[in-house]
Amino acid sequence: MFVHIDALGPSGVYRSRERKPLVSLAGTRVGEISQVPPLYVRRTLAAMRDAPVLPGAERSAALDKAADLFLHGEIGGLDPDGYARLVSTASGVPVGVVRQSIEWVTDVLRSQRSTLELAMPRGAVRDWHDPRTLAGSAVWTRKGELFAVHAAGNTPAVHGLWPEALAMGYKVAVRPSTREPFTAFRLVSALRDSGFPPETVTLLPTDYAAADVMVAEADFAIVYGGQDVVDKYSASPRVLTQGPGRSKILVTTDVDWREHLDLLAGSVSHLGGTACTCATAILVEGDPEPVAQAVAEKLRAVPSLPPSDPEAILTVQPIESARAVDRYLHTVAADARAFLGGDTIVDELSSGGAVLRPAVHLVDRSTAPQLNVELPFPCVWVGPWRPEEGVAPLRDSLVLTAMTTRRDLIDELLNEPSITNLYLGDNATTWLRPGVPHDGYLGEHLMRTKGMIRSEM
Amino acid sequence: MCSAILDIANPIADPDEYLRALMEWHFSAETGSPFWLRRARTLDFDPITDVRTFADLARFPNVINEFRDIAVEDLIPRGLEGEDRVIAGIFESGGTTGAPKRFVMFERWMEFALGWDEFHYADLGTMNTLAIAPSGPHMFGEFATRRARRHNGVKFTVDIDPRWIKRLIARGDTEEADRYAEHLIDQAADILTTQSVGILITTPPLLERLARRGDLVESVRKQVQFICWSGAHMDADSRDIFRREIFPGIPLKGLYGSTTILGMSRERPEERPDGLPVFDAPSPYIAFRVVHPDSGADVEFGERGQVVMNHLTRYALLPNNLERDLANKVEPLPGAFGCAVADVGPVKVFDDNSVIEGVY
Repeated sequence: MFVHIDALGPSGVYRSRERKPLVSLAGTRVGEISQVPPLYVRRTLAAMRDAPVLPGAERSAALDKAADLFLHGEIGGLDPDGYARLVSTASGVPVGVVRQSIEWVTDVLRSQRSTLELAMPRGAVRDWHDPRTLAGSAVWTRKGELFAVHAAGNTPAVHGLWPEALAMGYKVAVRPSTREPFTAFRLVSALRDSGFPPETVTLLPTDYAAADVMVAEADFAIVYGGQDVVDKYSASPRVLTQGPGRSKILVTTDVDWREHLDLLAGSVSHLGGTACTCATAILVEGDPEPVAQAVAEKLRAVPSLPPSDPEAILTVQPIESARAVDRYLHTVAADARAFLGGDTIVDELSSGGAVLRPAVHLVDRSTAPQLNVELPFPCVWVGPWRPEEGVAPLRDSLVLTAMTTRRDLIDELLNEPSITNLYLGDNATTWLRPGVPHDGYLGEHLMRTKGMIRSEM
Repeated sequence: MCSAILDIANPIADPDEYLRALMEWHFSAETGSPFWLRRARTLDFDPITDVRTFADLARFPNVINEFRDIAVEDLIPRGLEGEDRVIAGIFESGGTTGAPKRFVMFERWMEFALGWDEFHYADLGTMNTLAIAPSGPHMFGEFATRRARRHNGVKFTVDIDPRWIKRLIARGDTEEADRYAEHLIDQAADILTTQSVGILITTPPLLERLARRGDLVESVRKQVQFICWSGAHMDADSRDIFRREIFPGIPLKGLYGSTTILGMSRERPEERPDGLPVFDAPSPYIAFRVVHPDSGADVEFGERGQVVMNHLTRYALLPNNLERDLANKVEPLPGAFGCAVADVGPVKVFDDNSVIEGVY
């Protein structure tokens, strides 16, 4: 089957003349993706801006329906299984991880009613007709109309955030990843087939220059990328960046890490290490070496399998990309002591591509620069932590799992602004649940309260 | 010495014969320019005896950078007299790659170059022209003025300083560049909504900006009979959208030109399946090649490479000038030198490669 990923615009499917090949790991051409010009992007956004917003109740109903369609439906000629296999073949993400991610996106779609309730300030009502506005209250309102998503292709789970914007009544334009555009295509199609008018949710496959236009023209945007992307947009309050997570685990001496070894290794390898919630660093009070040793042993046992194998958990990349990652790893590892992956992380498969094997390195101090190096495979840096160093080595973490019983320390960690999520005890950095914020609620960025009082007329 | 074959009023039977006469003109003491007579002494070949065919032009070094500081008087061929000697203007390149380069444009040649795409305009009749285009030292604005004159109408103009825009962009001030571009469209709006305009001449980015305003699109649809674009790249998809959705029924034709060839090529009427405009140069006066950027060897038809331009008239000799543009090499019109070009534009950047650091 030859797949066409075309733009889904306000007036339907648009196939541009400019297209890029979609290629499987084995180098087979599996399809083509349209690359729309900035002119098309601008016209799409203008039409979206002019479109009416679907009423709240209809949005919720459409989201529910889209969840079913996304999970069970045949979309663009692909049934759920065919879609999951295609994502796996093209992106190298193990099919099991793909299925988990699909479940996650489905859960997110289904839980939007409650997520919105949870994210809304307690003083606010969702609708001005609410009787509370008669006595005066806050109404939760949108700060803008148009939300742009410059998506990534790590796993389908990346698309588990932006549906919240649709639920809030934003009109959403999605620029899919060129490596894995299938999920964005399927999700946008499902939403449109479930009741969202075409001009309220669109798919704009395009190059980076036109994606910049999309981000610039929308009211708000979410942009996924590396540190360079974060730096580029950090000054803009309109742009929410999803960059490296640099998630970490802290183990203090009052906790016996041996009892939590599965959790330590699992936080590193979950989702093939591709998520920003995967642990990048483990900091240990006392001697970190046995931890590095034990985590390495655990991860060494993970088998190299083709991504189509239901048991596979490690990501597969084209051989050249895998070698590039390996070279980069060796450069940044420098004087760190390798417990796993010191020779190579590249394990070539006869079925095409190479598995990115896990890597575990020990560093000698909590200020080692490697502790902040996040790579797109299970790669963890283990190092020492001393109480007198406090939160400093733990800063800039999307998730911090703190295995500690020290209440003062927990307070400090919770109050540290650059630690976004704090999990305590036996909870993996990769734990997620709809309704619990991942990096704050999207509503914190896209909504505001407006004071209102009215008389009955 | 006055070879009739070099007179642009006369048809060319044999382009190579024309070329040989041209070499004789530019490299003879009585007719050549001070610049070329001086420069010829440093060449490792004799243009008069060694340049016999179009392919031999590749022997010339690219002298275009010398046009940044040479006195324009030195560029005037001594053999030009009378009507032929009338100068239309001194035009300058945009200065993107350093100090601007300066060229002498002669009246007769300019009118000839303008006539090259006359057939596109043949049925338009009397009408006014609006040019949202650079004037000043640039060739673009002067061409627009003359185009307007040929339609017995008036020329409305909105001036652009492209060098200032390039400076803004170079220092990363895209917001200011944006404001400047909107300022240009505001001025165009004043004209489009109060005056009668039949021909619109502008660049693709400005046309795109104009198309963002519904009232201006309406105004163009109502009165404009012809849109001419030049000065920047237009991809096939944008061209389609302009022609089908935004300005349906209004001819939209491109000119691909350069000050460094003192002229331009015109859009071929033929429609290709890939939707790209093909540009033909007025051979043998202007001729293109497309080469591999690294080796300098000609690419095959259908392949992409860097554009090499040649201006070959008795008014100027500008051989073998490597432009920064990339293009697809297309079969030329019968009997023409070199090739036609399609999909002219800057390098397409698709840096969608996986980023090493960071998981996204």
